[in-house]
Amino acid sequence: MDRPLPQCDHCRLPIPPADLVTSEHDGKTLNFCCHGCHGVYQLIHGAGLEDFYRRRDWREAGINPGVFERDFDPAEVEPHIRHLNEQQAEIHLLLDGIRCASCVWLIEKVLLRTPGVVDARINYGTHRLRLRFNPQQTDAAGLCRRIARIGYLPRPHTADAVRDRARRQQRSTLIRFGTAAFLSMQLMGYSIALYAGFFQGMGSGSKQIIQLLAALVTTPVVFYCGWPFLNGAWRSLRNRMPNMDLLIALGVLTAYGYSLFAMTRGAEVYFDTAAMIVTLILLGRMLEESARHRAASGIDRLLNLAPQTATRIDGNSEQMVPSSSLHPGDLVLVAPGERFPVDGALAGGSTEIDESALTGEPLPVCKRPGDRISAGTLNLTTAVTLRVTCISEDSFIARIARLVEEAQARRAPIQVLADRVAALFVPLVVSLSLATFIGWWLIGGNPVAGMLNAVAVLVIACPCALGLATPTAVLVATGQAARRGILFRGGDILERTGRLDTVAFDKTGTLTLGVPQVVELLPWRCSSEELLLTAATVEAGSSHPIARGILAAARNRNLPIPLRGGARTIPGQGVAADGPDGEIRVGNRAFQPHQIPAEIVNHGQAASEVHVSKGARYLGCILLTDCLRPEAAEVVDQLHAMGLRTVMLTGDRETSARAIAKQVGIDEIHAGLTPQLKAAWLHQLKATGQQLMMVGDGINDAPALAEAEIGCAMDGSTDIALENSDLVLTRPDLRRLVEAIMLSRRGLAIIRQNLGWAFAYNLVALPLAAAGQLLPIVAAAAMAFSSVCVVGNSLRLARRGPLPPRTQHSPGKVPCSVQP
Amino acid sequence: MLSSTLILIFLSLCIGTGAWLIFLWAVKKGEFDDMEGPKYRMLDDDPVSPAEEDDHADDD
Repeated sequence: MDRPLPQCDHCRLPIPPADLVTSEHDGKTLNFCCHGCHGVYQLIHGAGLEDFYRRRDWREAGINPGVFERDFDPAEVEPHIRHLNEQQAEIHLLLDGIRCASCVWLIEKVLLRTPGVVDARINYGTHRLRLRFNPQQTDAAGLCRRIARIGYLPRPHTADAVRDRARRQQRSTLIRFGTAAFLSMQLMGYSIALYAGFFQGMGSGSKQIIQLLAALVTTPVVFYCGWPFLNGAWRSLRNRMPNMDLLIALGVLTAYGYSLFAMTRGAEVYFDTAAMIVTLILLGRMLEESARHRAASGIDRLLNLAPQTATRIDGNSEQMVPSSSLHPGDLVLVAPGERFPVDGALAGGSTEIDESALTGEPLPVCKRPGDRISAGTLNLTTAVTLRVTCISEDSFIARIARLVEEAQARRAPIQVLADRVAALFVPLVVSLSLATFIGWWLIGGNPVAGMLNAVAVLVIACPCALGLATPTAVLVATGQAARRGILFRGGDILERTGRLDTVAFDKTGTLTLGVPQVVELLPWRCSSEELLLTAATVEAGSSHPIARGILAAARNRNLPIPLRGGARTIPGQGVAADGPDGEIRVGNRAFQPHQIPAEIVNHGQAASEVHVSKGARYLGCILLTDCLRPEAAEVVDQLHAMGLRTVMLTGDRETSARAIAKQVGIDEIHAGLTPQLKAAWLHQLKATGQQLMMVGDGINDAPALAEAEIGCAMDGSTDIALENSDLVLTRPDLRRLVEAIMLSRRGLAIIRQNLGWAFAYNLVALPLAAAGQLLPIVAAAAMAFSSVCVVGNSLRLARRGPLPPRTQHSPGKVPCSVQP
Repeated sequence: MLSSTLILIFLSLCIGTGAWLIFLWAVKKGEFDDMEGPKYRMLDDDPVSPAEEDDHADDD
């Protein structure tokens, strides 16, 4: 294009000459690319909202536009296509860049309007697209290109056996729970009839029929829905390790068996107990499984960061080959906008790469020949060749994925508390019921009555409310937490958060904002406005975080930034542009043609200096630094007040780590840690019995997040960090962390009380059962009362309790980055 | 009295079983696979897909 086309004043797109729509407003001529944009402008103008055009930010960061121009090779997508029949083929794609529901809407609509597409459906939770199309009318590579053109990156993906199995498992749990819930509801009707009959009297005929119906609906609940527990109980018996499953199976089976026996003798039945236990505990299992499922899809996404194909250079020709076939020593070509397929060393050309997906580090990193590059990072500026140093299986990212997987597999099973109680309780109850039987046999001389009473002891001892004690408290507490922007990934997380004694923080992006901000302007013989404006003019349009920092500062001072192009990026040095007064150079010290005056000194802790010169004049220096979160110090203080120890784990240098730690008041720092070392450090501490929480945001924190007792990530963290954390703060505000810990401490207290209640009622009924004096109505009442108490107690969590009042942001607070 | 109760119980079982079968069908069809998306999908202000448009055309 020789001459840039005029831009639409509404949407900023170039206007093809034939489509120009002009309009006069307040004496200015405005250009629009279509009547739609003109109409929208009039609407906005009519409502007195023209400020929108001044305030909106066109230079928002994002993936480099070059990314979306990449081509899709049919050979790359072909192996992932599944042909259903002549007319239809299906492909699963993993989409990069989906942020909200509108993205889902856009992609689906665009695809559905493409001829040849039969169906397009995106799973919002997993970012997976299922695309059905007619292979005779369109091809998969073309569809991928179409998705890429609207700004999302598709990656072909075949569903593997492991995930298929997980999904089948999830569905079967859902069906088991649904069935149990449905049958229990039916059963409840019959039970109420039977209770009423107990008080008002009931014909023995009707009673028998209703009991029979109750037995009918309970049988599938016990043997079909309860199968996982029966199976688990059998396994625990064989391993001689009494656990929760055994207690459940014992209670359910004895209640069921006893009721069947009692039915034949016209006595009272306990079918509802058996069904209720199974249903409630299945619900808990289901919630746990879906949390685990989400974690697994995080690993998928991580492994998929590295492209599966690479362009290998063989002598003079280039060839597309699968990444897994690359050997150390091969040369690979990587275009700007592509992710590196394998770990390697830069062989030719220098470029800037975006490592943020891996490290959470917002600044692009400049790489020169010989520098090491990790698979999965994004090439930003120029095409480079890479010498492969290790096979794709051993790449940094694959090793991280393996670490995460290991840590997840090693994670202790949930319901630790209930399991521990069960291990004590099962032998106790069994011996008590044995004692009852022997007592009645030897002292009373009546083995049949002894048998019945022994069973009654077993039934009454299995606390129905045990099934309720944890889930209800967890449900209410997590609901409360969600309202405050805190997401717990399950009940065990709540339990464990309440027991924490150490909190470990990552530095970049966690204690700091992760976005560089202008802290000081050092103008040299000019005004600070001129300095800032000159820098902003050149940096306008750049998505480099430093550029964004400078632009944000310029906007904060209401400086008008002219839109202009023609800036040249010199990797690792800066940006230059031609202006009326000569070349403007914005960049580091080495980039300046001038001698920098000795008065310009970086006194503070600022991490980056940006020097600005215009033609023959040196204008000065802008200092930027990654600022501390304004609430960080207050939060660390509160954590200390709660009796928690704080630690900082960072990959950064010792000096900068120490400076930050001093400002927020953290006790202990460990600097220069690799992801493996972070995880190892946590592992070591865990071995001493410490309950640890790790707060972090990058992929390099993922192993540590998975290894820690509790991993906590904040909004804005990388996908893999979010997926691997147990606790997610949905607002970028560390104070939520304090709230989360307080809430879970209260939750844990409530769970303990609940367990106490549940057992207390059952313990009162136990001697009655052993003595053979247990009236069925007393048993029913004990069960109902304990359940009501437990639920009521849990509901107390819903009241606004002694949580810290939300302190207002101080007025000087720097605005956080705008969330899309 | 008893027979009317029995009829009601039988009816409730039938209706319940119907609901249960619908539930099974929904699970098999994958209705529960995505628990996040649909709540946003309903906000889409554009319910008329080309297929539905055809349906409306038939109505006219």
